[in-house]
This record gives sequence, C-alpha cells and structure tokens, in this order.
Amino acid sequence: MKKGSRLSVIAFWGAVELGLIYAFVALGVFLAFRVLDFPDLTVDGSFPLGAAVTAVLITAGLNAWAAAGIAMIAGAAAGIVTAILNVRFRILNLLASILTMIALFSVNLRVMGKPNVALINADTMLSPFFGHGLREFYVRPLFIGVLVIIALIAVWRFLESDAGLAMRATGANARMARAQGVDTSFQIYLGMALSNALVALGGALFAQTSGFADVTSGVGTIVVGLAAVIIGETLLGARGILIALIGCVLGSILYRIAIQLALSTDMLGLQASDLNLVTAVLVTVALILPRLRRGGAA
Amino acid sequence: MIAVEDIKVVFGRGTPLEKQALKRVSLTIEQGSFVTVIGSNGAGKSTLLGVLAGDVLPTEGKVTIGTRDVTRLATAGRAGMVARVFQDPLTGSCGALSIEENLALAARRGEKRGLASALGPSRRSVFRERIAELNLGLENRMKDRMDLLSGGQRQAVSLVMATLSGSDVLLLDEHTAALDPGMAEFIMKLTQKIVSERKLTTLMVTHSMRQALDYGHRTVMLHGGEIVLDVTGDSRKTLSVEDLIGMFRKMRGETLDDDALLIG
Repeated sequence: MKKGSRLSVIAFWGAVELGLIYAFVALGVFLAFRVLDFPDLTVDGSFPLGAAVTAVLITAGLNAWAAAGIAMIAGAAAGIVTAILNVRFRILNLLASILTMIALFSVNLRVMGKPNVALINADTMLSPFFGHGLREFYVRPLFIGVLVIIALIAVWRFLESDAGLAMRATGANARMARAQGVDTSFQIYLGMALSNALVALGGALFAQTSGFADVTSGVGTIVVGLAAVIIGETLLGARGILIALIGCVLGSILYRIAIQLALSTDMLGLQASDLNLVTAVLVTVALILPRLRRGGAA
Repeated sequence: MIAVEDIKVVFGRGTPLEKQALKRVSLTIEQGSFVTVIGSNGAGKSTLLGVLAGDVLPTEGKVTIGTRDVTRLATAGRAGMVARVFQDPLTGSCGALSIEENLALAARRGEKRGLASALGPSRRSVFRERIAELNLGLENRMKDRMDLLSGGQRQAVSLVMATLSGSDVLLLDEHTAALDPGMAEFIMKLTQKIVSERKLTTLMVTHSMRQALDYGHRTVMLHGGEIVLDVTGDSRKTLSVEDLIGMFRKMRGETLDDDALLIG
C-alpha cells in the first residue's frame, strides 16, 4: 500500500471518537425528524451552545459534569424556543428552527464573549481516566462510547414507554393522538427539549475532547446528524425503535470513518476544506440508494 | 348522558365566507342510548360530532358529557370521556405504530402517561385476548404495523381501541363509509355488540339510511344546521327508508327552489 493512502491507528480512533460524539446529535435528530416529524435546524446552534456553555463554565472553575449538565439545560431551552415559535405562534417548523439557529449564533458569542474559548489543561470529564496506562486516543472513544450506550438505552426505554408512545403518535398522526387524549403541543415542547439537550451534550463533549469551543463549530451539524440517521436506516432497515437507535450510532461512526478515509486517500486528491462537499455527496448517496434499490426491485 | 343546548357554530365569522354550520341545535342523549344521525352534505352532521368530540368549539351554547360542562374543553382534554371512530381508517389509528402499540396508546386514553413500559406482559395478554374476539386472526399479528392492515381490519381494531379505557360515550363518524359492503356489515354487527355489551351512550353519523333505521333507538335528521326530524319508539319502527328518501327529496327541492330564485 502506498504511503499516506492508509488510515493510521490514531486517525481511525479519532474518527470513531468523533462519530460517537456526533451520535448524540444523531439521537437528537432522530427524535426531532423521525419521531416528531419536525425538521429542526436548531441543532446547528444548540451544538455550539453546548460547547460554549461547557467551556465557559469549566474555565470559570465549575466541575465538568455539572457544566455538561447545564449545557444540556441550555440546549433544551433552545429547543423549547423553537417549539414555542412553532406551536404558540404557528410559524412553519423549519422556519421557526432557522430563526432560533440564527439567534443562537449571537447568543453563543455572548456566552463566550469571543469567537472561541480554549480548554487546554483544564479538568474535563475525561481527566480522571487519563494516565492509567491506556493511551488517550483509546480512552476518549471508550469513555464517550459508554455515555452513548447510556443515552441510547434511556432514549429507547423512553420511546417504548407510555409517555414515549404519546410522542411517537404525535409525530405520526396528531389528530389520532389528540383523540386519544394526548396533548400534542406539550409533546412537541418535550421532544424538542430532549432532542436539543442531547445535541448540546454532544457539543459539551466535543469542547472537552477537542480542547476548545468555537462559535462556527455548529455549521452543518444538522446534515451530519441526518447523514448518521439515514446511513443507519439504509444499513439496518426499519425494524423497530431499538434497531433504529443503534443505526443512528452506527451511522454516525461509519460516516466519520468514511470521511476520514476519503480525506486520507491521496488518490482522490481531497483536502480538509472539501469536507462539506464530501458530506453533501455522502448524504445524497445515502438518500438515493434506498430509492434505487426499490426501483430495481419493481 | 350527552347534551348539547342551543349550540350555534359559525365558521369564518366576519369574513365573506361566513357560514353558519349549526343554528341553535339542542339534543339530549340519555345514558346508554344509541342515536343515529343522518343528513345531506353540509347539513351539520360532522360539525355536531366535532362539537361533541372537542374539535369544534361552539360559538354559543353549552355541551355536557356525563355531569361535566365540557363546552370550552379541547379534544385532548375530554378524550378520557369520549371514544371515537373516524370515517377514514387512516385517521383513527396510527399507521406507523404496531397493532399492540396502538392499543397501548388507547388504553391510557385520558390518563397520565408515565415512563413505565407501554407493553408489559399482562397488558400484552389482555390486548391479545381482546383482538382474538374479533375472529380476524389479528392476534397473531400484534407486532405488525397498523398500515399493513386493510381498512376494515383497522376499523375493527379502532372499535376495540374505543373500549379499552373507561369512557362510556362513543362517537362514530360514518365509520363504515370507506369499507366494502361485506366489511361494512361486519363492522356494524361488531359495533352493535360492543355498544350493547358495554351499554355505551352512542352517537353514530351515517350516510346510509338503512343503517340509520336498523341500528340504535332513535334517529335524528339534520338539514341546514337544524334538527328537522327526531323519531324514536313506534313512530320510528313504522318509518321506512323510502319515507326518509322522500323527506330528503323535499329538503333538497326547497334548496333547489332557493337557487332557482337566486339565478332568476
């Protein structure tokens, strides 16, 4: 194999780590897009919001776990703002989320007081796990992987509960849900809050693993989350909630590995700045593939 | 008991398209009584049903279910007291959820929904039993998505869903209109059985005059947002489908004359 055309071990585990961080985004996007049928672009703002809140609080001396918790609350609040615009004021869901996203750009700058905050040498959620013999590029994906599994199980159990069923019915058939006594407005508030809290947690972990929070880090979050959801669906098919959620996580990891491969292959002549183009192409392919397969069968 | 008193419903008030869908309608249905409602398109049948279900909040008047004044209560708020089967089989159940998930959703109608698993073993066996009573073989397909079922099967499951929680008012909105004649008859028999077994207070809107006279204790005809016929007991027994059609013709004739006047 030619030099440089192969993924190094560090780059590979780096991709897995990033995939696991964005698995939180994928789970959030799944809740909004698939469960509630709410195309929510708020995530482009709530991801950097989670990062910003965490970075600022950790630099101010707060415990990293508490900082991540507060980041999740901030994310939930952002989701609720979008839900209010849509439910109370009847603004089209997509537009409502764009308004919140745009507003969050300014909010994030206010939170940090500058475009980015460094977290070098600060105590993060991961700090206690470093220096016990395992190399850092293994510790990071391992730690985040455990958190992802906890989140996945929580979301799964929620969606299979009475309360979760009400949320799924709201997205699938709101009229029926109301006739069954479900307060569909409340379900949208709750779903958007949960979704954006998960996304903000992703941002909080991103800031802690990469050592900085940046106001521009949210650009394209929605596309990456959606890519993960769609890749998962394409690979595992529609076989119930648990499989769909596992698909989100798997899709997110595979997406990062695919990107890493594409960028590290000299043959294609791609560079880091081509990331957005590669992402768009990947998502498009993932969207078209199931359609082609169905067309072929017919 | 269901009661509407002096209900007036105006759509698009203050606009050129203002329409008075119901004009001072009063109707009391006693506990355990089964009332059928007929009327031509635009007579106000669906509006009346919407007023009872909570989809339409009346402009004037009062709505009572049981002993409770529900006039200002929206659909979800009164769902615990009212079960409903829609005309379109796709509306009454959730196609993306499985049969058992749909049942679980209906079992908690009007109650708090917590974080406990929606489908525990005991609930599953109750649901299975209730679906087996339909004799449609659906008890072996409990995990199938609802949208894999035929329209008739979905309406049958919807009827079971309507009886899973404690409400004793049943609203049927032309619930056999989208079905083939055989399936429509099956659903009507099932409806009859459920209503009499559970002593449900029932209001059924129908397009079929045959159904309107064959089922229930009382028939109400709406026209132009008003009750124009209300028959029960012996006078209803002697009423034939032809009589009803005659009345319909007469009503329509009147509106035709009105139109003729306008055009002339």
